[in-house]
Amino acid sequence: MSLGEAVRSALWSLRSNKLRSFLSMLGIIIGVAAVVGIVSIGLGAQSQVLDMVSALGSNLIMITPAPTLGRSGRMSSDAVDVFTMEMAQHLQEMAPSLTLVVPQVQSSGLLLYAGANLRATLVGTTPQYTQVTNYEVAAGRFLHALDLEQRTPVLVLGSRLAERLFGEVDPVGQVVRLVVGDRRYDFVVVGVMAPKGQVALGNYDNQVYLPITFVLERLLRTNRVGTLMAQALSAEAAPQAVREAEFFLYSRLGTTDEFSITSQDEMLETIGDVAFTLQLMLGAIGGISLVVGGIGVMNIMLVSVSERTREIGTRKALGAKRRDLLLQFLVESLALTTSGGALGLGAGAAVAQAVSKYGGWPASIQASALAVAFGFSALVGLVAGVYPALRAARLDPVTALSFE
Amino acid sequence: MSTVIEARKLTKIYPMGEEEVHALRGVSFSVRRNEYIAIMGPSGSGKSTLLHILGCLDRPTSGDLTIEGTNVLQATDNRLAEIRNRRIGFVFQNFNLMARATALENVELPLIYGGVRRKERRERALAALERVGLADRLHHRPTELSGGQRQRVAIARALVTEPAFILADEPTGSLDSKTSVQIMELFAQLHQEGNTLLVITHNQSVAQEAQRIIELLDGRITSDSGQQGVGA
Repeated sequence: MSLGEAVRSALWSLRSNKLRSFLSMLGIIIGVAAVVGIVSIGLGAQSQVLDMVSALGSNLIMITPAPTLGRSGRMSSDAVDVFTMEMAQHLQEMAPSLTLVVPQVQSSGLLLYAGANLRATLVGTTPQYTQVTNYEVAAGRFLHALDLEQRTPVLVLGSRLAERLFGEVDPVGQVVRLVVGDRRYDFVVVGVMAPKGQVALGNYDNQVYLPITFVLERLLRTNRVGTLMAQALSAEAAPQAVREAEFFLYSRLGTTDEFSITSQDEMLETIGDVAFTLQLMLGAIGGISLVVGGIGVMNIMLVSVSERTREIGTRKALGAKRRDLLLQFLVESLALTTSGGALGLGAGAAVAQAVSKYGGWPASIQASALAVAFGFSALVGLVAGVYPALRAARLDPVTALSFE
Repeated sequence: MSTVIEARKLTKIYPMGEEEVHALRGVSFSVRRNEYIAIMGPSGSGKSTLLHILGCLDRPTSGDLTIEGTNVLQATDNRLAEIRNRRIGFVFQNFNLMARATALENVELPLIYGGVRRKERRERALAALERVGLADRLHHRPTELSGGQRQRVAIARALVTEPAFILADEPTGSLDSKTSVQIMELFAQLHQEGNTLLVITHNQSVAQEAQRIIELLDGRITSDSGQQGVGA
């Protein structure tokens, strides 16, 4: 019997037993659907998180203060009090692999305008901030070097903040009152940023950007800045840039305990690792249901073989060889699991689509995941079919024919 | 006339726990082309065992069996399957049709195992069904056919490979007397057309239709109406 004949007869046999075929396929359908759905949603989520990190900027290196370990009577130092403006400037000069170093200091305050007030995160920074974070101005301008030099009371609003505080009014040129602690200042809004959305470390759209000099000297009265954001020359130069920054800070602070340096690549890598582990785990759960489904298929094939003992005997009498019967039952088992697999692919893709549509969660349905899930269902069919098919092939024709 | 089957001193011993059952105790006979033979005997006489051995479904414990010059004892399982496929046409008491297949598909089945191409298969199956008078029942399934019609499909299935002989096991055992007569008429017609027929039965009237009757008892041939012709 040719393979074509075997496939035709297997499909025909499955069709003539629709309900049973469907029920025994169910395990495979659920398994494949689970694998495809989970992997698609997982990949989608992963790419969304990666996008968030990428949105931080390009070739970004974050240098953040770390609290030191207190010991022998010394207190653990406050994590904030490490870097100064002057350090930021020197770092840029001393580290050839860094193009920009942008200091940043955060505080919070209350914005007042036309009877409304809104609490906001204040970010004191320099004009280069937009460059390292790939941030764009929607209206007006961003901070200028002169603003820093002259401690001009100007500010730039994040898009969401501008929308909430000003509504229909054009904020550029308006005066807002800023309350920090018990001090009040009048600021001129010089610009509004374009929406950037949720980014790894927070929402840019809800922040206010001020000249860092003003924030340090007038608002906080300190000379310590929070985070240093730096940009490496290129993605390839990032590891070198990290080493240079490390060396510079070590030479200044005399220790490596008080700061930590993370490059964007490292963040991406970490997230990638976590996502991969998670997917592997979820994929394994789907895999288990495939195995369980496979056992179901094997069971139904065994039932089918013993039910059709007389048929097998007749086929042998008519000239079927062992390999004909082996092929027949193997192909039947394969047809069962691969059609289950195909239905599962459809169901899984549909579930992933539905989740992404109604859950606001992106799904990325990839051909490779589909191929793996489908291949697995075929493998399950093969493995589950071998034993029943061998039993059918080895039946003694006399015994099989006289089977009642 | 050429010899189709040559059986020499066939024995068959089944182990039954501690004891041995001698189902056949040295059966010898030969069958020539276009003979119509009935093999008779009560149950336990060994006729089923003989059927299985003649049908190449089982091997004798000793003795020799040659079908159209091929020694069956030395054949591999695959070779036996080929002999069953090409040289033997089985007709069973319970028809043994594929329940979900149409008459045409049932008749095509042995040709599929014989590796006959689709188009030729269809043509030969059609011709076989016409020969048994079922040209108008091609696409009916066994459940849509009467007992007599089912047995005709089974006979068409046996004929379609143009076998050396047709081996029928109680072909009227599941049929009423009127239908039985019709099936026996069909057998007579097939004999007329030159086929070699072996019918295994315990039914006298069925056996009477045959040219030659071989009677079995306790694994031995007790009478063979064609004996005189064999040695000559």
